[in-house]
Amino acid sequence: MAVARPVDPLELETPSALGRWAAAAAEFCRQRPLGAIGAGAILFLFVVAALAPVISADDPLAVHFDAMLARPSALHWLGTDAFGRDVLARLIYGSRTALLVGFGSAIVGAALGTILGVGSAYFGGRVDLYLQRLMDVFLSFPLIVLALALVAILGNSVPNVIAAITVPMVPRCALVIRASALSIREMPYVDAARAAGFGHARIILRHMLPNVMAPFLIMLTAFLGQAILLEASLSFLGLGVQEPTAAWGLMLRGAAVDFAEAAPWMAIFPGLAISFAVFAFNLFGDSLRDALDPKLRTQ
Amino acid sequence: MSRYLLMRFLLMFPTLLGVAVVIFVLIRVIPGDVVELRLAGDRGAVSEQVLNQERARFGLDKPVWQQFATWMWGLLRFDFGTSMWTGAPIGQEIKLRFALSFQVAVMATIVAVLLAIPLGVIAALKQDTWVDYTVRIFSIAGLACPSFWLGIVFILTLLVVFKWLPPMVYTPLWVNPWQNLQQLIWPALAVGYRYSAVATRMTRSAMLEVLREDYIRTARAKGLWQSLILSRHALKNAMLPVLTVIAVEFAFLIGGLVVTEQVFNLNGIGLLFVQAVAHRDYTLIQALTMLVAGFFIVVNFLMDIAYAWLDPRIRYR
Repeated sequence: MAVARPVDPLELETPSALGRWAAAAAEFCRQRPLGAIGAGAILFLFVVAALAPVISADDPLAVHFDAMLARPSALHWLGTDAFGRDVLARLIYGSRTALLVGFGSAIVGAALGTILGVGSAYFGGRVDLYLQRLMDVFLSFPLIVLALALVAILGNSVPNVIAAITVPMVPRCALVIRASALSIREMPYVDAARAAGFGHARIILRHMLPNVMAPFLIMLTAFLGQAILLEASLSFLGLGVQEPTAAWGLMLRGAAVDFAEAAPWMAIFPGLAISFAVFAFNLFGDSLRDALDPKLRTQ
Repeated sequence: MSRYLLMRFLLMFPTLLGVAVVIFVLIRVIPGDVVELRLAGDRGAVSEQVLNQERARFGLDKPVWQQFATWMWGLLRFDFGTSMWTGAPIGQEIKLRFALSFQVAVMATIVAVLLAIPLGVIAALKQDTWVDYTVRIFSIAGLACPSFWLGIVFILTLLVVFKWLPPMVYTPLWVNPWQNLQQLIWPALAVGYRYSAVATRMTRSAMLEVLREDYIRTARAKGLWQSLILSRHALKNAMLPVLTVIAVEFAFLIGGLVVTEQVFNLNGIGLLFVQAVAHRDYTLIQALTMLVAGFFIVVNFLMDIAYAWLDPRIRYR
């Protein structure tokens, strides 16, 4: 007698994914104007980062000793820094660093957190208990301290800065994802999948993960802004991205503070750029959270 | 209930132990040690024998597990040891700095509460009006501005507009309160703005949730004054999650002021942390980590108790 292959209920529905996304995006923009503004600002940042060589009138690394600490002028729109480097050019190229570190650490942090959170909820029992204690330990570590120690160990290149920012994010994400995964585990379709004889991997990947997409996206967007802020703080402390790379936090370090009175443009514009980027991501993330899961509280 | 409290209390210890293990291992993985940095940091010719002698003095030559046991035994007796860099007792190193960080954290909390609660309540009451949008944009902006940058802007504004700078030398509150406040109000404002943003958003969403409850409608139907409904019925019930964020943020601030302290030239816990890591001052890093993490763990524990106590709907296994 032939045994019927268990049918996965997910394989039965085949809507056009692209169409659904487009419709959802249009609906989002209509209902949440603030979120749409945030999305527009993020898009703007991407365009600036991608077209940096085209937009920027000057090389961000070019040193002009004849124009050190020059005030904003037609030649240098936002002035120059202590080495005579064009502030606007450094801001434009700095967006690349911010987006790279922001997306790098947010994606890795949220993904690892999701895997741990879902695994912890799905397996329950001992696994859950030990993982939760481990998460508790990392949660109690002050964020910046963990990053400080990690950068001291790994050294400060861009990938290491991303790693240092990722580590404190993982337990924060795992906590939220675990909470939603716990309720999903009790859903009849997970029972059904188990009864149908599917393995752990398949149940987790096909049945649990798609259903924690909402909190995953919410954590991801929340992390983007935080990662950019954290990178700026680390770079400001001299523990993040290194000179002469253009990075916003780095631009605020040293001379920007020392010459703040004589050359306030050095201190003001990079801070505005950081605030603008984080503001955009938060505005978008906030509306996304309201749209996807209004009950979920993230910071 | 008492069973839950006991469990929750006991759970603090494995977490603390975990923190101890992680920091103990972490700092020993950082290349370079305190002896090398202190004696041969300026590339002076110091013989390996002298270095080893010095290491032995700190017990750094012993097996790692033995060092850990010694440290744990000290912690149990509240003996943090002496700083490997300055040689001063850790308690003495931390005391004044803790007072400073603690005071800034308390002042920032006051700023945050004074801003957050009225703003959050108004935003919730006027949901989806321009008032609500203004408050939301104000609070999202608070999350977006790096507080260290806000600090730079404060100093710059004071300097340019008022030709005045806050005092640069720390005066304890009990020595000269006026001098002290003149210096610490600025970091408190810079940090408090971000802090208030977190709390405003929580107040708003908690209020929105509560305002939709049946008992609020009943109170309205009874013809109760709006102000009484707000203060007696709504605010009281919405405060629990708000209290939680405020407490968690507060606990975080004790060790999280690193960058702001740098900007305002404050010699607090955060700055001490950065120096301790730079010096590989193992005993000091360990003590600071346990202090900051312990503070955080205890505050979280107290919040859980407060929850169980204040909200009778919560029943624990």
